[in-house]
Amino acid sequence: MNMTTFSSGTRRLSLLASVLCVAALLTGCESPDARFRGNMVAIRANFGDKYRTQDQHVKDIADVLAAMFGTPDEPHVPKLPDLNTAEVLDIDKLRMAAGPVGSDEFDRPRGLYRQHCAHCHGISGDGAGPTAAFLNPYPRDYRLGKFKFKSTPIGYKPTHDDLKKILIDGIPGTAMPSFALLDNDEIDALVHYVKYLSIRGEVERDLIRYAATLDLEAEPPERIVNVAYAKEKPSDFAEQLEEVQRSAARLVTQWQNARSNVMEVAPPSRDMNDPQARVAAIRHGRELFYGAVANCFSCHGDTALGDGKVSYDDWVKDPGWIDGSTNQPIAAQIPEFLALGALEPQVLRPRNLRLGMYRGGRRPIDMYWRIRNGIEGTPMPAAAFKPEGAPEDMKGLTHDDIWDVVEYLRSLPYESISLPAPQELENLRERS
Amino acid sequence: MGRFWSLLFLLVPVLGVGAFVFAAADVWPIHGHWLPDNINDHGGVIDSLFMFILYLTGVIFIATGIALFWFLWRYDAAKHAEPAKFTHGSHTLEVVWSILPAAILLFIAIYQMNAWADAKIRRPIESSGPDGVAGTADDVPQRPLALVTGRQFEWQIHYSGPDKEFNSEDDTVRDDVFIVNELHVPVHEEVVLQIESQDVLHSFFLPNMRIKQDVVPGMKQFVWFRANREGTFDIVCAELCGWGHYKMKGRLTVESREKFDRWLAQQYDEQQRRSFVAGTGE
Repeated sequence: MNMTTFSSGTRRLSLLASVLCVAALLTGCESPDARFRGNMVAIRANFGDKYRTQDQHVKDIADVLAAMFGTPDEPHVPKLPDLNTAEVLDIDKLRMAAGPVGSDEFDRPRGLYRQHCAHCHGISGDGAGPTAAFLNPYPRDYRLGKFKFKSTPIGYKPTHDDLKKILIDGIPGTAMPSFALLDNDEIDALVHYVKYLSIRGEVERDLIRYAATLDLEAEPPERIVNVAYAKEKPSDFAEQLEEVQRSAARLVTQWQNARSNVMEVAPPSRDMNDPQARVAAIRHGRELFYGAVANCFSCHGDTALGDGKVSYDDWVKDPGWIDGSTNQPIAAQIPEFLALGALEPQVLRPRNLRLGMYRGGRRPIDMYWRIRNGIEGTPMPAAAFKPEGAPEDMKGLTHDDIWDVVEYLRSLPYESISLPAPQELENLRERS
Repeated sequence: MGRFWSLLFLLVPVLGVGAFVFAAADVWPIHGHWLPDNINDHGGVIDSLFMFILYLTGVIFIATGIALFWFLWRYDAAKHAEPAKFTHGSHTLEVVWSILPAAILLFIAIYQMNAWADAKIRRPIESSGPDGVAGTADDVPQRPLALVTGRQFEWQIHYSGPDKEFNSEDDTVRDDVFIVNELHVPVHEEVVLQIESQDVLHSFFLPNMRIKQDVVPGMKQFVWFRANREGTFDIVCAELCGWGHYKMKGRLTVESREKFDRWLAQQYDEQQRRSFVAGTGE
């Protein structure tokens, strides 16, 4: 009797175990669906203390964005009349970069963004992926539409080739590695996807700003767009839809125009390959570095070690939590913003120019662009430029002045105080 | 049932040997899993050591597998009614199975010493020093062609250029070239690389050169090889260095001296770019 109960008990137990095993196999260990995360930090920044009551807006913005841009698995290119969007956002390229990691029926790669980028830059391109918090500097948040290392001046979008260069070379001194070994079209696909996330993020910010002008408490409530309803009667939302389209069209045009905003650069008048000319350039560049016009040393430090003024970049300042008088984040607001997805404020130090580590590229042309155009989103300003034929007493750096500063900066890592102390060959054994 | 278990355990040596035979013969279903092509003049000795140890362990593996099978088959309880006999062991047998492996291990230790010295200690020399005798303490070791720095998750390559010095102070010879993940080397020449790490432990692995060197932060290591075939090959990281370890790979291009010099000059010129006209691309 006992024996029978025991064995039927065991059988029931093993049955239960197999059912659990099958259930586990069926559900698998798949991660939850990838979703774009709303920009709650911008909502909080735009609505202030009232942000908790804006659920309707949050939902409407997500609906509008989903209708225009699709989802992380199924991206759309917004339909914009009169614009050739494919030049900026090619849907085939976006499909290659979007979605879960894998390949399609023709064995072409899929999900490149999630394979290579998302863990730092986040599914939404918010620069807050799972590994982001451990990095210094933080990964770029594309949603501000600002990029540091480019051939265009501040306020203009980078060119396709600018972003490609970053992917191929990586950014030395940061956690951004090189993706030089990816195929050319894979890199192209990722660049298109970065633009897509950036445009989507900026449209989202525009929508949030627009929503802040609407009153949900009014009767009837002023909503951005009721997507379900707008499909049937677009005329009721004509004004709002136009606003949304205008925002997207403006951004796509900006990206399209990037190429025509590139700063063309003529070579220096001095022949820098001539040792004497170079020595003269370095001497003059050094004078400018410590001069009142260029004023480089006030941030980069008296010895160019980057020990001058610290500050915050635009991405850290974005939530508007920096107190204007102290230039420090308002401590009381930090936990609230962190809970909404912001990262701990990180100070920005001016570059140590003695390391020979050039984040935006080590070619003289890259350094020329940094000085001439400044670095967007940071306190590094564009040089006061003195064009050819300007009045003699005008303050500013001429084209050749900038080249001389570049040459001085390029010589800094080779000065004896910049070089590491000679190292003994620790693993070299003496044999007699 | 007993015969079933003995046959099942016979599968261990059969499948184990089969895996190696199929892989070495490059036959489906394990084709393309044998050693990658050796393109290093000094790599053959590593391969012969590998094969020697493989044959040695292979013979012991097969013998052990067959002995286990034979005991299972011979003394299967269902067919073999005779009760088990217990013994206190055999002194002779124990001496044999202790001394034999010890002797083999000692033999391997001595046999590989020269290979180790050639790979890790006897760096190629530039000249034999004042005394004119190679292999003495005053030899001038060959200076590295490039410094390879491991960094999460890429290989930074820093060529010393024609002056063979890194970061030379003299401005007229500032000829260093900096590249990421692309290592070019000339064929049929001794190449010395200096290996360093910028952050954590990495391991610089050139499978086709039979070279693997752990990269320890704060230490300078040297590896050397002489490639005998042109082509592109893999550089991989062979030490778990973080979440992106699997994607820390580079490309090794072996090419003729002329092509290599032209390539290095091109890289240098691009690195010296001082003008930009829109439409020419980057």
